[in-house]
Amino acid sequence: MTFSSSKPAHSALLGAAILALALASGAARAVETLKVCASKIEAPYSTAKADGLENRIAKIVAKAMDREVDYVWFDKAAIFLVRDGLDKKLCDVVFGVDADDERVLATKPYFRTGYVYVTKASGGPELGSSWKDVETSNATKFAVRFSTPAELILKAAGKYEENVSYGLSLVNFEDKRNRYTQVAADRLVSEVANGDADASIAFASDVARFVKASQTPLKMTMLDDSFTPADGPKIPLHFDQAIGVRKDDAKLATALDEALVKAAPEIEKALADEGVPTLKPNS
Amino acid sequence: MKRFRTSASAFTLAASTALSVVGATLPAFANDKLVELSQSEENWPMTGKSYKAQNYSKATQINTENVKNLRPAWAFSTGVLHGHEGTPLVIGDRMYVHAAFPNPTFALDLNEPGKILWQHKPKQAPTARAVACCDVVNRGLAYWPGDGKTPSLILKTQLDGHIVALNADTGEEFWKMENSDIKVGSTLTIAPYVIKDTVLVGSSGAELGVRGYVTAYDVKTGAQKWRAYATGPDEDIKLAKDFNMANPHYGQKGLGTNKTWEGDAWKIGGGTNWGWYAFDPDTNLFYYGSGNPAPWNETMRPGDNKWTMTIWGRDIDTGEAKFGYQKTPHDEWDYAGVNVMMLSEQEDKTGKMRKLLTHPDRNGIVYTLDREDGTLVSADKLDDTVNWVKQVDLKTGIPVRDPEFATRMDHKATEICPSAMGYHNQGHDSYDPEKKLFFMGINHICMDWEPFQLPYRAGQFFVGATLWMYPGPKGDRQNYEGLGQIKAYNAISGKYAWEKMEKFSVWGGTLATAGDLVFYGTLDGFIKARNSKTGELLWKYRLPSGVIGHPMTYTHKGTQYVAIYYGVGGWPGVGLVFDLNDPTAGLGAVGAFKNLANYTQMGGGVQVFALNGKNPYDDVNIGEWTGKAN
Repeated sequence: MTFSSSKPAHSALLGAAILALALASGAARAVETLKVCASKIEAPYSTAKADGLENRIAKIVAKAMDREVDYVWFDKAAIFLVRDGLDKKLCDVVFGVDADDERVLATKPYFRTGYVYVTKASGGPELGSSWKDVETSNATKFAVRFSTPAELILKAAGKYEENVSYGLSLVNFEDKRNRYTQVAADRLVSEVANGDADASIAFASDVARFVKASQTPLKMTMLDDSFTPADGPKIPLHFDQAIGVRKDDAKLATALDEALVKAAPEIEKALADEGVPTLKPNS
Repeated sequence: MKRFRTSASAFTLAASTALSVVGATLPAFANDKLVELSQSEENWPMTGKSYKAQNYSKATQINTENVKNLRPAWAFSTGVLHGHEGTPLVIGDRMYVHAAFPNPTFALDLNEPGKILWQHKPKQAPTARAVACCDVVNRGLAYWPGDGKTPSLILKTQLDGHIVALNADTGEEFWKMENSDIKVGSTLTIAPYVIKDTVLVGSSGAELGVRGYVTAYDVKTGAQKWRAYATGPDEDIKLAKDFNMANPHYGQKGLGTNKTWEGDAWKIGGGTNWGWYAFDPDTNLFYYGSGNPAPWNETMRPGDNKWTMTIWGRDIDTGEAKFGYQKTPHDEWDYAGVNVMMLSEQEDKTGKMRKLLTHPDRNGIVYTLDREDGTLVSADKLDDTVNWVKQVDLKTGIPVRDPEFATRMDHKATEICPSAMGYHNQGHDSYDPEKKLFFMGINHICMDWEPFQLPYRAGQFFVGATLWMYPGPKGDRQNYEGLGQIKAYNAISGKYAWEKMEKFSVWGGTLATAGDLVFYGTLDGFIKARNSKTGELLWKYRLPSGVIGHPMTYTHKGTQYVAIYYGVGGWPGVGLVFDLNDPTAGLGAVGAFKNLANYTQMGGGVQVFALNGKNPYDDVNIGEWTGKAN
């Protein structure tokens, strides 16, 4: 595993100044940091350039705590961050966990959103806000991520098998045996824009940035949270997003909760800038 | 997890007893020229020499007395670095040589060995490379002798999914068909197989949403005759009316869909076949194994997943299956059972002469079936260290599993034997009908398998396993050696006449000869000869690169030659070929074979041997400049 710790570039000057001061005085209090587990390859949430949505929110939250973000970077996808970063105490917080993720102690949610249909703003297939519209619409090709509620919708709608090869083509048929292989979020959007997919079913914050930036006008339609396949329990389509800390780190969770209240307006602005359609918190 | 068990309906059995069973097969096609060609020691016209796929030669010029004098006669580089599986063909004065992607084919002149009579170098989309899962191997060629109107043909497969017929005299493309669409993730690595006027070809890419099938083409035109799937409705699987009538407990009709699969998962259920075929002109059946179900992770596909992992006997003319025996219902270990089918005629334990097929499976069991109706005759462990299964119940055909070595969630299984690579993989083994012994190259590799599930935001998740492969209990786990075995097996007694350990897997298979010899190549780059009665090592030679193909022999102008491909690669060479270091990469193969790179490097070609290196260039005038032609 490779990871490295570094401060984002924009605070480098400030950091250097503090460092210099600390060295000069020899004993000055170092600025407290927020050690964030972060993936370099999880656009639009987190990138090596630290320009992802969660990179921005981490900065906002840290500021509200009077701390500085100290990234612990991972070359692997964010799905591994809890197991390989947080649990190993290499870093202390993971942004963007589901509020009910049992592996972590989750803060109060800082936003809520859900799965959306991404279609062309005009001329796209007729898709309302129900998962069942997948079944009834004449759309056949759907870009979705693997092992997601979106994939389950395709299964329940009887359109999964015919989409498997297409879905694998989005990862260039890379061998998936025992390997985490996932469709890039921007690809979910570009496939719709260039007409290769009739629609995408995606978690809104996965794709909002790319929908907003698309040359071809696209739209997002939020799905109702009412997906119960015939043979199973309800599958949620709306999710609270929170920050995860280790279960025994209640102190940090409390501090983060306080900061989230303070930082709420700025977080809201960040989400709006990103184009994420948010839902009312699930209380 | 819930398991689906299906049993044949009593009604079907009762209704079918009115029909007579077996025995009444029609006589063989007398004029099948391939049969004739394969009877001569001057030819090696198909992957296993004859339709019986015995890799056995009656030639005795090279024998236990003189094999120590075996020396290189000549060699030929294919110019391809990647793994070379399979074996060359020899018909008359020509040797036909194939290679890994980009899949060139060469016709060589045996009178001036190494001289290229023609070469076929296809242009293929580079994307084919990305789609192939484990190196970019190819398992060989097929030959059709021609009929006076249509010229003799060489049949080949390309990684990009095409089957191509080449004029055997000129190398020109005679016809070309797309069998597998790489746009949907399906590639071809199998050797095509000619039976009478039909050429068979399988499919690869089980993990990629592919539903496996075998297709029959008219060898003269490339027109498709029929296609039979491994999963799906009975008409797609092509089940004969009397399918499994002799063994209704194997399962009969209506099992290829949601009775053994969840929902429509059979549509993407894998069961590809990329191994070897055999044929019996008397039963008119050909034999092969369908591979693993997909997806790889077993929790995603509850049920028996029929008819993946199945030994098939199908009519060559109609494609209809007379029998199918599923060896590993609901595979949990990636034991894709596409392995070689070797045909023999032997007396069973009761003294009854029977037509048999013997199949060393990836799951560590060597199965022998009555090839007329599929009845199990024996099922023995390839090594006493096999542990996922306690035994195969010969009455029911069901493997009795040991739950300790299952790969279920929330259970760390350690020392599962065999590993996902199987105790036997794609190697083409041999059978000596005089000694009634099968000579089998074995992987002696076990594994740890700890499944995990990682959730991620918005209800996403990833199910995987931490996988480690290492030498089996008889190997050296400190130094990662003792990864292979070579064994002589009697399918009736179930006894091993002899067995020897090898540093690395014997991946490519074996050749047996009436000279009381068994030849095989090793991953670390040796070709070896043992006394086939005793196992005593009599001769070996260091090749330029490791071996993953099987040796062959032919007699040309009175001299017996032994030929073998070198060129390490394939699954065991995946770390070396792609320069991988993570021991769990390649599903653990990189760790298991981490020492291989200290023994051999890439590079492919054919190496030919004869006693004292005798070869046409002993006459130094052969191949010399003889002046300008006028």
